[in-house]
Amino acid sequence: MTALLFGGFLLLLLAGVPLATALGISGAAVILLADLGAMSIAANVYSSLAKYPLLALPVFILAGMIFERAGVAAKLVAFVAALIGPRRGAQGAVAIIVCMFLGGISGSGPADAAAVAMVMLPSMTRQGYPPAFSASLIAAAGSTAILIPPSIAFVIFTVLVPQVSVPALFAAGMIPGILAGLSLLVPAFVFARRYGWGAEDGAERQRLLAVLKDASWGLAAPVIILGGLRTGAFTPTEAAVVAVFYGLFVGTVVYRTIDARKLYRVLVDSAEISAVVMLIIACAGIFAHAGSTLGAFDAMAKAMLGVTDEPWLMLVMIMALLLVAGMLLDAASIFLIFLPILIPVVNAFGWDMTWFAVLMTMNMAIGQFTPPMAVNLLVTTRIAGIGIETTVRWVLWMVLSMLSALALVAAFPQLALWLPARLGY
Amino acid sequence: MKPMSSPPEDPHGGKAPADPHNTPRVTIRIEEAIAAAAMALICVITFANVVVRYLTNASFAFTEEISVFLLVVLTLVGAAAAFARDRNIRVDFFVLKLPKALRYALELAGMALSAVLFTMVAWFGWRFFIDDWKYETTSPGLGIPQAVYSIWLTVLAVLIVARIAGRLVRLGRHR
Repeated sequence: MTALLFGGFLLLLLAGVPLATALGISGAAVILLADLGAMSIAANVYSSLAKYPLLALPVFILAGMIFERAGVAAKLVAFVAALIGPRRGAQGAVAIIVCMFLGGISGSGPADAAAVAMVMLPSMTRQGYPPAFSASLIAAAGSTAILIPPSIAFVIFTVLVPQVSVPALFAAGMIPGILAGLSLLVPAFVFARRYGWGAEDGAERQRLLAVLKDASWGLAAPVIILGGLRTGAFTPTEAAVVAVFYGLFVGTVVYRTIDARKLYRVLVDSAEISAVVMLIIACAGIFAHAGSTLGAFDAMAKAMLGVTDEPWLMLVMIMALLLVAGMLLDAASIFLIFLPILIPVVNAFGWDMTWFAVLMTMNMAIGQFTPPMAVNLLVTTRIAGIGIETTVRWVLWMVLSMLSALALVAAFPQLALWLPARLGY
Repeated sequence: MKPMSSPPEDPHGGKAPADPHNTPRVTIRIEEAIAAAAMALICVITFANVVVRYLTNASFAFTEEISVFLLVVLTLVGAAAAFARDRNIRVDFFVLKLPKALRYALELAGMALSAVLFTMVAWFGWRFFIDDWKYETTSPGLGIPQAVYSIWLTVLAVLIVARIAGRLVRLGRHR
């Protein structure tokens, strides 16, 4: 039965069956064959969805999209560019920093990468950066969105592992996320210097104060979201809703970029993207019920623990596994599939769950831009109008940079745990 | 996998030619409108909750029950639209390397399995509803009959099956 559950799922997954169906049908087959109670098929769909903490997920997706469509990215680019000033490699640094700021508003890597790519690709190309390089850099920097709070991935982690709180995990992601972003500055500067990209007398420099005024509306968004959570005034869902209404105000009154039509569109699009993720959560409920009732997850965990009792080796193995999975799937799906197996392993080694969540998510972030299957890279290369294979010679250096950030967080757990402890979560 | 979020507008202006498999005859605007309305309602209810709590110190936490129900509706209605347009997350990396005939067969099989899954959800969901109805279960927050909520699992699962069936028909027609 255990073999049917995991084997059936893997086979369906690789055969291109929708992930939700692959999880649901393999779970349902086991439930029916092993007579685990057929009613639980429907019950788990409903109960996996009907959870208050899960409400934060669609609302954070909506908030990110509203800011994106309000055109916050362009204003942030203007501000950061004015701040850094014209110097060699400046454009690359601007792209990275804006991606990180946007990551503080939205929690989705591909959305973040798309927004920045549309604004920055043309100007970087004018300054002599090859599109393949710019697309790689923005894809990589966009992946920090799932680490820098708010993060959709973290929301899902806390729904699955309720002993970790959303504010604690958001705080834990902050320093590793910034570290991951900053690690990209190395290839950005090295390549810009080596190949002489980025004319030093670049575009006309705008006045800092003028662009700051425009950008401040966007810059305030992370403060509102995280501040509300920090004071404990809002639940995560409420913080997200406040961000939605603030974003609406910025989009309709300040920037005047969102009208009724666009508002409707953003509601539809965010609802559809949320539905796609939450359907997987619902069907993973069936899979999880089958797996835990059978004891299949514990058996898998035991098998993993049997391989080695050396924590370092185990950690490296898990990271390698997650990195490959991260290339194929998004963070939400990976948590749903792997957490039931990994939680007993984490407990057996006495690892901190919050730290482990951050490490897992860093792997997913790297997976988002590691070719050949990389969502962020797919989005940015499509915008650049180039093939994904042209990016390989650049993007591998960025994978390497971010892997070193991952290694740092793995070696020094305090990088993740210091901030939440400091804030008293 | 496919990107979960595509850029809002195609940067190059032109739209990709519509894939006949992904354009249902029965418009999905209805599903879109319901999903959008659910999303908007969730935001309005939650925001009202925050405002009321600050002004009066009273909370109407019972509204959580409605929001959570709207979340179920949003998911299943949105999923119906996603099945109709093939927007679901799946790993197409290996499939794209297969010969066309095999790919087509796998596509059909995947859709058929999805139909089977949601038929089961509809059927066992229906039995759940019957139980709720018979035993007059009431909801924990508002105290209304639980059956008012549980019926929708069946209704929306049937909608999903219908959308999958529609896609199967289109796949058959435009081979």
